[in-house]
Amino acid sequence: MPEKCISCGSCGMPMEKPEDFALGDVTQPYCAWCTDARGKLLPYEQVLETNARIYEESQGVTSEAAKRLAQALLADMPAWRDRHSSV
Amino acid sequence: MQAVTRQEQKIATRGRLVNAAMVLFARDGIAGTTTADIAKSIRMSHENVFVHFPKRDDLVIAVIDEFGRRLQVEFRQVLEEGLGLRAALRAHLKVLAEFEPFYSRLVIEAPMLPSKVRSTLLMLHAAVSQRLFIALERERKLGRVRRIERPLLFNTWIGLVHHYLVNRDMFANGNSVIAEHGESLVQHFMTLVKS
Repeated sequence: MPEKCISCGSCGMPMEKPEDFALGDVTQPYCAWCTDARGKLLPYEQVLETNARIYEESQGVTSEAAKRLAQALLADMPAWRDRHSSV
Repeated sequence: MQAVTRQEQKIATRGRLVNAAMVLFARDGIAGTTTADIAKSIRMSHENVFVHFPKRDDLVIAVIDEFGRRLQVEFRQVLEEGLGLRAALRAHLKVLAEFEPFYSRLVIEAPMLPSKVRSTLLMLHAAVSQRLFIALERERKLGRVRRIERPLLFNTWIGLVHHYLVNRDMFANGNSVIAEHGESLVQHFMTLVKS
């Protein structure tokens, strides 16, 4: 079983190719989709919305379910685990 | 040099835990397997499990991640070689067959599992949905298949496959249901999407 691959510290997406990383830099902890053009982590609400939209568009789940499940996924990510649990 | 060895040991131990968890989750169910069961099966101290996986759900997610990693490898080949929907469906089934006992349990228990685990499965399905849609669109531009909305394309396929997996005791006599029926499911699905 291989070593755990590098994944985004914000959304958990596996990062393999340089273009998957913020700024195309493989030393960055976050993916290109969770960061802005300067490599800065996007606000939580924006990352949550992006992840929820992925669920909706790929499987047609309701926006409420998508948001609830996206929140569960982000809750333990290094970038967000210290956030207040009521978010 | 010693640090490298320690790191290698850490990776090896993690791998043993993930493999053991996958076997027990498949055999006894995900909700019915404890971290103590997993530790005992590989003669590891219970405390050591938590060094690698602080919560039991982290182990479930680690197995799902392993499944996702295998899928990524198979799908990459389909994309890079410009193959069509049939090849994408076969790639999906190939990995499902490798993880069939665990994955079937996961599908059966998913509605009762913690949101974080369900969310990880949903993200995995999102990746499959994207790959299948890319493959479909590639063929649609060549006039070979019909236009289908992305969620329905995925849900139709996964609904079909999951039905066989959830009821694998009825569709396969102790063997892999994917090995026995996978190709006929691919053929059937291709007939449905044909233009």
